[in-house]
Amino acid sequence: MSTLEITLVSAFALVGAGLYGLLITRNLIKVVIALQIMVKGALVALVAAGQASDQLALGQSLAMTVIVADTVVAVIGLAFAVQVKRVRGTLDLRALAELRG
Amino acid sequence: MADWLIGLTIGLPWIGALAVWLAGDRRAGLQHRLAVVFSVAAGAAALLLLPSYGDAPALSIEVGSVFGTLTFVPDGLGVFLAAVATVVGSLAVIFSVDYMRGEASLGRYYALVLLFIGAMVGLALSGSLFLLFVFWEITALCSYALIAFYNDDPKAVAGGLRALIITQFGGLGLLAGALIAYAYLGDTQISTFLARADTLPGSMLAVMAFGALAAAAAKSAQVPFHTWLPGAMEAPTPVSALIHAATMVNAGVYLLARFYPAFEGVTGWTTAVVIVGLLSAFLAALMALVATDLKRVLAYSTISQLGYMVYAVGVGGVFASQFHLLSHAVFKALLFLAAGAVIHSVGTRDMRQMGGLRRELPFVRTVFVIGALALAGLPILNGFWSKELVLEDGLHHGPVWAYAGMLLAAGITALYTFRMVWLVFYGERRGTGHVHAAGSAMKLATGILAAGTLTSWLLAGGFGKMLTESLPFHDLHAPGALDLYETILTAPATYLALAVIALGLAAWWWRDRLAGARHALAPLARAAEADFGFEALNRRIVTTTALAAESLRVTQTGLLNWNVLGIVGGLVVVLAVLALGA
Repeated sequence: MSTLEITLVSAFALVGAGLYGLLITRNLIKVVIALQIMVKGALVALVAAGQASDQLALGQSLAMTVIVADTVVAVIGLAFAVQVKRVRGTLDLRALAELRG
Repeated sequence: MADWLIGLTIGLPWIGALAVWLAGDRRAGLQHRLAVVFSVAAGAAALLLLPSYGDAPALSIEVGSVFGTLTFVPDGLGVFLAAVATVVGSLAVIFSVDYMRGEASLGRYYALVLLFIGAMVGLALSGSLFLLFVFWEITALCSYALIAFYNDDPKAVAGGLRALIITQFGGLGLLAGALIAYAYLGDTQISTFLARADTLPGSMLAVMAFGALAAAAAKSAQVPFHTWLPGAMEAPTPVSALIHAATMVNAGVYLLARFYPAFEGVTGWTTAVVIVGLLSAFLAALMALVATDLKRVLAYSTISQLGYMVYAVGVGGVFASQFHLLSHAVFKALLFLAAGAVIHSVGTRDMRQMGGLRRELPFVRTVFVIGALALAGLPILNGFWSKELVLEDGLHHGPVWAYAGMLLAAGITALYTFRMVWLVFYGERRGTGHVHAAGSAMKLATGILAAGTLTSWLLAGGFGKMLTESLPFHDLHAPGALDLYETILTAPATYLALAVIALGLAAWWWRDRLAGARHALAPLARAAEADFGFEALNRRIVTTTALAAESLRVTQTGLLNWNVLGIVGGLVVVLAVLALGA
């Protein structure tokens, strides 16, 4: 197994783990965590792709950009979670689902 | 030059819609002014566009492989319909200044009206099937939202939903046609399709032809999909004049005329078009005869007159149908706006509560009678020339039974028109309550339209020239203006039609002596009041759609996990399609 393959497999594993978390969790904070794991997997894939195509610098700078954006997502998501807990008294997604048809 | 004008004609109303919405409902005066300025500017741009007609795309936008190139073609059919939409639209907006004064949510009203005007122009000028479908659906959406404008009235909301569902139902036919054309020709340009329609397999072309007929029947409120139009009368009256008389309902006729060269060879298609037109013209005239709501009478008469245009396309008279479309747009907008002035003054739509209004509303009476005479088809108003031209084409190129039916419908048209004028303006006042005079903006808008009703037939020569020069696929033989007038004035068919119309008038004049005949026809009148049973068919379409929506509600759980699953599922499908190399 080459280095690229190993990195890609671990990237897929991270994305898969995050996706699984998103599919099963009912807790808003866990949603933010699962989302973070998914994005980290995508980051690994970005860097690996940059190396594989001999554009390591491009892959790395894209990864840096994603890290910044991703941090903002995490911060806002957690801030929302805190506010939701204060206002609604729960973090359970089923109790928060208001878009029910 | 033409590309700029096309951009302006579509863009100005849309910018205006945004501006009115941004102005906010607290500044009603500004909203009125903005709406009038932008709609009148769009009308001016459309009129400037008229001389630069041609059959080549004037504006092309590359959007990549799947959608192809989005083109706008300023050919005769397109610029003419765009001019009708914007000019009548701007008059309806001017009329609204009086009619909608003091109403709540003016921003929503004007934004939707302006959005509609822009979309209608786009529909008329688009040269690609894909773009045509998009604009087609935007007009449907605006129509729905404006019918349901008084959204605390359940009747208005139900009428809007019904119009939306029925026209979408027909729109599926158009979408299917566009997809078939793309699948076989690899191109969505209308000109490509018209040029190479005979290379398509016959069965596919038949599906397209009848799909287009269904789309046109739903949009133009033709039998059997016509029942949404009377329901649409819950909308504010300027909207009825603009959308449900002068512009959107013409889109169906426009579609048939546009694709006539491709579909005329399809077995049974022209006969089907003739039958749809004949049934609409005849049955709707009967329904107009028994209706008591002023706006419903006008709605049925719109269905009936659109039936004349559809019939004209069916017998190959594309020019006659478009000429009648022009006349009808002008005089029906006039009738609707004048009726709006009456309703605004009296406060009811029931003709049994009116009567004797000629004293209180002399100006409205005058313009209404002008419009009514044009509707009845009396010389020398525009309705006379175009209706005679339609009947002339029908006699020479269509089946005789259809001609006889249309002739009879012309007589009934005269009868219900005079019944309506009489019930509203003559006799003794039956209702109570104060009648207040029409405002100056109302008088301005109806006055311009009345002048148009008296003179628009003078445009026939230039209009015919424009159509023949810019429609390479249509086999048009529009005569010069003088020839046209001469043909109409010397043809025996004209006098036959006039005699039938006079008979219709006489039937109203001697209505008391005809009591026996009226008694004998009572079952027919009851059937007409019950909409000849088409109501049931349309209601079934609406309830089936509602039922499907109700049963699909469970899929909207609002739960994050299920939504993520949906996204992943969609992604898998896309990846699978890409992997299969589509």
